[in-house]
Amino acid sequence: MRFLILALACIALTGCTITNQRLGAETDIGKPPPNSKVLLVRPDVSLALLTASGMQEAKADWSKAGREDLTTEVKVALETKAHVFEAFDPDAVQDPHAVQLLRLHDAVGQSIMAFNYGLIKLPTKTGSFDWTLGEGAEAIGHDRHADYALFVTTHGTYASAGRKALMMGAALLGASIPLGSQQVFASLVDLKTGRIVWFNVAVAGPGADMRTQAGAKSLVESLLKGAPL
Amino acid sequence: MNRLTASRRLAAALLVGCTALTGAANAQTTPNLRAPHLKPDLTTAEGGIWDQSDKAESHVRASAELDSDPVLTAYVGGVVCRVAPEYCGDLRTYVLDRPVFNAAAAPNGYVEVNSGLLLRVRDEDELAFVLGHEVSHFARNHTFARFQAQKNTANAMMVLTAGITIAAAGAAYSTARAGGPYAGQNINTISSTARSLNDLVYLSSIASLFSFSREEETEADQLGFQRAQHAGYRPGASVDLWNGELDEARASDFPKVRTSEVRASIFDTHPVTSDRIAALTAMGAGVVPAAASPATTADAARRYRAVVRPHLGDWLKDDLRRRDYGQTLFLIDRLAGEGEDLGLLSFYRGETYRHRRAPGDDALALASYRAATVQPDAPAAAWRELGQACHKAGDQACAKDAFSRYIEHDPKAQDRWLVEADLKSMQQAGGS
Repeated sequence: MRFLILALACIALTGCTITNQRLGAETDIGKPPPNSKVLLVRPDVSLALLTASGMQEAKADWSKAGREDLTTEVKVALETKAHVFEAFDPDAVQDPHAVQLLRLHDAVGQSIMAFNYGLIKLPTKTGSFDWTLGEGAEAIGHDRHADYALFVTTHGTYASAGRKALMMGAALLGASIPLGSQQVFASLVDLKTGRIVWFNVAVAGPGADMRTQAGAKSLVESLLKGAPL
Repeated sequence: MNRLTASRRLAAALLVGCTALTGAANAQTTPNLRAPHLKPDLTTAEGGIWDQSDKAESHVRASAELDSDPVLTAYVGGVVCRVAPEYCGDLRTYVLDRPVFNAAAAPNGYVEVNSGLLLRVRDEDELAFVLGHEVSHFARNHTFARFQAQKNTANAMMVLTAGITIAAAGAAYSTARAGGPYAGQNINTISSTARSLNDLVYLSSIASLFSFSREEETEADQLGFQRAQHAGYRPGASVDLWNGELDEARASDFPKVRTSEVRASIFDTHPVTSDRIAALTAMGAGVVPAAASPATTADAARRYRAVVRPHLGDWLKDDLRRRDYGQTLFLIDRLAGEGEDLGLLSFYRGETYRHRRAPGDDALALASYRAATVQPDAPAAAWRELGQACHKAGDQACAKDAFSRYIEHDPKAQDRWLVEADLKSMQQAGGS
């Protein structure tokens, strides 16, 4: 019985520590002026089931639910702000230049993850948070005359029941088996200058299951807490 | 096929469930095929694989590698429909400018065909066999079968090790790290999320959708052969294609490629062994007339060349990026063997020698450029490169003549000013 209590405490503990928000350094650009137009790029969500043996099984329904819930909650969270928000579907973009800019944003986001959050440091990027898509980024929302674009990307897994049981069994024996986890990345791009003015990474906590409306709400609140919007 | 016995039906049904465990399919068995217009439920594992495939497809749609020629794409898509009329509405074909022999059909109907494949097949018949092969993976839903097999293997491994106390934890963890199609995406810490978002990891998870077992490759060979034959293509084309691939492997600069019969491609789970060729030869022999007359074959090659001609130069240029000059020269020789496009092909032969820079290659490049310029289809660049080669060899008269001819052929060339500057400095040097 003591072991079981210990194991449960262990689960609870890992559950808590997963919530770990990190804020990217804000730049000297500051907040967008009131009434700026912000494009809410449809979130890129990939969720999978983590099976007992550790395989990941992509779950299209979870990804869809997560995408819809996050889209709704981001919109709700920003409604009180003094900006104009507009939903933006990256797959509907036809202009090849804009398409390449969206790809560039993916690449820059990966670099930020690697060099600002990862173990590698770039000798040329030791001081301020200084990343940009370069001039001409306004082509992303060219026909909409937007000032900013907000991107949200999520990759994550949820453990199956079997995986959780295995984790408990292993915990009793003193070994640890990772359960599923979900990371959310957000970035705000100033389309006039191309600069990424804000970047954030959140690891979803136990109460922030984005497959549910309530969970998505909690997740988005943490994610956008420090956003300069 | 109406004489299919009950036991064979059973065998075929079993094959669906445990493809990875059974041996090669009986050559005469018609296995279960997926129904056209299939669309799995979102909540299923298959729905998850479709979702992944959809993402790969939209990734490709925005890719700079996507070939922009609608005529070529429509042509390749047309061949796909000829070998798979029942799935014609389900399959979306994309030509990608990648210099690698490869094609694939994802479970959601996304079909990618590399330009490196189109450069290597000699006629539509060979192309039809490859596309029939890929469509057969699609029709038999091999990606999903593979996923199930991997899942079963992972589960079996876990059950085996679960009894060995702590080892179970280690094994399951290492399975997560090393196995399974999405294992690369396993992420537990913020620092490792950097990897999870990495494009390479993403692509490798997509590539895993296209990795099949030997049995599945053999089956796709058989079914692809049947499809191409049914659509009226030459039965011998499959054997010709694989023989051509073996010949090209032997022409490689790299000893490892030359000695290995396995090609690093979509077929890498299955070596292009003589066994496979023998099996296809046997199939061809069963449906005589296996051998088409040489005139018919040459005719088919000419028709195919007419389709790909506008892209030939770009594809050869791309092929040089692989830096396997032995193979590029082999390809050029084979293409030239058909007696067409000799100016363009000679020019790229020269380019290959120029890039290779082995002893004696300067002279070979010069001779190739010279041979190119006497052909009516020589690209203007052949004169410029001939000029450079002559200049390098110290033959100033030849260089001056070639540079002047380059400007004559392409008066609007972007590098005209450079060539004119070269000409001028040569005239001054000659005058002093």
